Amino acid sequence: MELAAILLAPAAVAACCLVVSRRTAAMLTVIGSAVVVFLALLAADRVLSEGSRAGLGGWLSCDPLGALVLLLVAFVGLMAALFSIGYLPRRHAAGGRVNGNYFSLYNLFLLSMLAVPILANIALVWIAVALTTLASAFLVAYEDTPEALEAAWKYVVLTTLGAVVALLGIVFLYWAMKLGGGGPFTWAGLRAAAPHLPPPVLWMGFLLVLVGFGTKAGLAPMHTWLPDAHSQAPAPICALLSGVETTTALYAVLRLFPVLETAGGVGARNWFLVFGLVSTGAAALLLVYVRDYKRMFAFSTVEHMGIVMVAIGLGDPAHFGAAYQILAHALAKSFCFFAAGAVVLVVGTQEIASVRGLIRVSPIAAAAVLLGGLTISGAPPFAVFMSEFAILKAGLGTAQYVAAGLLALFVVVAFCAMMQHVNHIVFGQAGPVQAVASLPATCVAALVLSAIPVLVLGVYLPSGLHRLLAAAAAALGGAP
Amino acid sequence: MTDPIASYILHLNAMAGGLFLLAAFAIVATRQMLSCVRWFVGQSLLLAASATAIGIGLHSWHLGAVAVITVFTKAIAMPWLLRRTVRRELYRRREISQVLNIPTSLLVAAALTLLAYAIVYPVTAMAAAPFVDINLSVGLAGLFLGAYTVAVRREAVSQLLGLLAMENGAFFAAVSIAPDLPFIAELTVAFDVPVTTLVIGLLTRRIHERVGGTSVGLLAALRER
Amino acid sequence: MEERILYNLLQVAVVMGFAPLAEGVLNRLKEIVQSKRGPSIFQPYRDIWKLLHKDEVVSEESTWLFRATPYVAFVAPVFVTLLIPVLTRYPLFFAFMGDMLGGGFVLALGGFFVALAAVDTGNPYGPMGASRTRMVGFLAEPVFIIVFFTVSFVAGSTIPYIVQTVWLSPFSNFFAPSHVLTMLAFFMLILAEDARIPVDSPSGHFELAMIDKSKGLEYSGRGAAIMKWAGAMKLFVLLCIFLNVLVTPWGLASTTALGDVLLAIPLVLLKIFLFLVALVVIESSLAKLRLFRITEFLSAAFVTSVVALTTSASGL
Repeated sequence: MELAAILLAPAAVAACCLVVSRRTAAMLTVIGSAVVVFLALLAADRVLSEGSRAGLGGWLSCDPLGALVLLLVAFVGLMAALFSIGYLPRRHAAGGRVNGNYFSLYNLFLLSMLAVPILANIALVWIAVALTTLASAFLVAYEDTPEALEAAWKYVVLTTLGAVVALLGIVFLYWAMKLGGGGPFTWAGLRAAAPHLPPPVLWMGFLLVLVGFGTKAGLAPMHTWLPDAHSQAPAPICALLSGVETTTALYAVLRLFPVLETAGGVGARNWFLVFGLVSTGAAALLLVYVRDYKRMFAFSTVEHMGIVMVAIGLGDPAHFGAAYQILAHALAKSFCFFAAGAVVLVVGTQEIASVRGLIRVSPIAAAAVLLGGLTISGAPPFAVFMSEFAILKAGLGTAQYVAAGLLALFVVVAFCAMMQHVNHIVFGQAGPVQAVASLPATCVAALVLSAIPVLVLGVYLPSGLHRLLAAAAAALGGAP
Repeated sequence: MTDPIASYILHLNAMAGGLFLLAAFAIVATRQMLSCVRWFVGQSLLLAASATAIGIGLHSWHLGAVAVITVFTKAIAMPWLLRRTVRRELYRRREISQVLNIPTSLLVAAALTLLAYAIVYPVTAMAAAPFVDINLSVGLAGLFLGAYTVAVRREAVSQLLGLLAMENGAFFAAVSIAPDLPFIAELTVAFDVPVTTLVIGLLTRRIHERVGGTSVGLLAALRER
Repeated sequence: MEERILYNLLQVAVVMGFAPLAEGVLNRLKEIVQSKRGPSIFQPYRDIWKLLHKDEVVSEESTWLFRATPYVAFVAPVFVTLLIPVLTRYPLFFAFMGDMLGGGFVLALGGFFVALAAVDTGNPYGPMGASRTRMVGFLAEPVFIIVFFTVSFVAGSTIPYIVQTVWLSPFSNFFAPSHVLTMLAFFMLILAEDARIPVDSPSGHFELAMIDKSKGLEYSGRGAAIMKWAGAMKLFVLLCIFLNVLVTPWGLASTTALGDVLLAIPLVLLKIFLFLVALVVIESSLAKLRLFRITEFLSAAFVTSVVALTTSASGL
């Protein structure tokens, strides 16, 4: 029942936001997101105790992995809504279009992302993923500059292209299920029918879904839209896009892994490994050349999606690390983009070369960027480091030295590149750019609130969360 | 088991398949935006015809409903939405140049069709169901050709039509291999087309207002250098 | 046995006799579509008759090539007529003398001589038109070959009579995707080879824009008559190949009775008439392509034929 409510709340808020004033819309959004967070916690708790939840007569269902993603979407949604309240008016004072529909689009976007982990029928999951693109198109184009429009165009076209390819893949999977004897077309049903699915059809379906949804998740070499879209959108939207939208797309790909494992063969693992390593490597390399700090964080998203793929590809022992990585990345990445948004508000430019010595200009923004850069690039003792360490340990433990070694190399390169850029921004002589104003209170509040999990989860993982991660990892494993 | 399918149904479906492929090539190569849209509408009607033929052949009213929905969303709603959102851009545009010139484009498109046939061959050989061989091959070829159109065209409307042609291809394959997808899924997937058209149309209009043209392939400000 | 020789000669007579009629009908239809009255459908006959009785003026600079070309251009379609099904379904006496490729090459031989003759006189417009005709022909060759390969691949033979039976008997073959695409490619080829819109304007008078018409510029009197007749016969022959082998392989005589064969004549003429109506519709609704866009037109034809070939090769 709470699953249906999770979907109804943002829908209702979206409808209301069309008719009320801007401030009320902002308030409603925050309240609605808070309700969604509460419901998501409730759902996660029930999932942990009961194994899985169903809702709305079987059209909705949630298992531990879905609950994890749901929680992340809800939490980041709340934080970003809070950040938007202060961010948007300040950006408009600097020039830009006033668009009354921001919050209704925001809620639609949130709704579509919430729908992905809890819809039962796989075809409906596809629709939810396609809707995430369509709902966020105008959010990405919000700033209305030619660059923002170019980014929005590439975003919509390339992700829709991926979605259509994935559609054919899903049709293939449906066909495979029909040929294998039928059953409900859900993730659980697919996994149960796995031994009977004819291999050529299953493989074609998998590859099409991998390429299609991989485009949406930002895996290389289909990631070209990602740095553009995730840097030109307003900061709270970037947080949503990078933090959780790519995660929901990746979720759809990850769900196929147990099916292929059960169907037999190690081919699936190799595909995941290769795509993951290519993404991580490409991102690490591009991070050296990047010139815009929001693009830097966007490339970091590509890197982390790659790391999750590698973790899946390394096999069962690394799956806990994969789940942990998903959690850590979503929280840390959204925080990074809030920090970047704060810097944009203070300094007004997105170029790394123009920003120096931020710590003298605005301590809050500088501290946020520093913390964000450290966490997301994998510095100890933060959560991302812990998850990457767990993955590498699992990789070495299963004697996959090449993969683990390459992964370690790429992570180190990315760390060095990002820290160099962050260092340039935060420290050094204060540059010619003057501070515009202090940060709005809601932005600071959002920063602080989202910093808490980032700081804490590295050293202390609450037992409930630990159990959820373990259950999610089990859901990813090959054993039914 | 199923009774043997009337041969004229198989013939009609085969003819629809051949013309569908032709329409996909035309979408790659046409210069005028309007004729591109008309070829797309023609392609959608051929998809509906194939769905009807298969529906009659397999005695599934479900596919008949799919055909009706296809006609409504793709042949009626989509051009209407396009006219409403990008009217000026549509009626005045000719695409003078593509990334590759048209004869080369067509040759690459022919190679992609061959590739699609080659990929699908082991699957169709295994399946041996009545309509699958034509629909799956032509559908996958349509998918590849649509993706190629998006890659090689510079105009906004052409790229949109490439995307929708891809979806037509995916559907063309789907009507033969998954004729009984849950109805709600069919309905929502079909309505994805008008929604995509609306979003992309409005975005195109904004781009035209802001940038002054709709050659989106030439927008290349966001780079590392 | 004797009937076969007789019918073969009858075929030639039919082609020679009715080719100008086809051209006359086509011109009349085009004028009617443009809301004019148009010349009588027998006008080409009168033109040929008139030209045959006029004096010939031949340039001093030209060689034997110029004088011989009208006859070569005339004989080529006649020779091809011996090979293709015009009236009958079963092979006639000369049917195995050459196959479709051979027929195509014979037609090309005629075109080759015509192109050379255009260069022969020293008139500047001649070589200009000839080089353009060669460009179109050069681009159309691959389409010809691939179309013939496709139909031969499906039929297992390159003799037109045998190919025709493939589309005839399981009726399902008619709707196969490869067949539809082959028909389309061949149709585009006819438009190119016979200098119809959108490739060339057959009624244009402006020499700088002429592609195929320039071949007849220098001829007068008997030479002009024969060239005109040869052009009409080339169209007729191409139409016979297209209609009787690919599109509508019905209506041909299947027995050796004379009555059947004579009955086939009006049926063939009817088919050609229907095609001419379609051709007129297309000619009246398109504009002539710019010269460099002819490559796009022919590459579209080429790609269509290649896809037809691969579709039939992969067994669809």
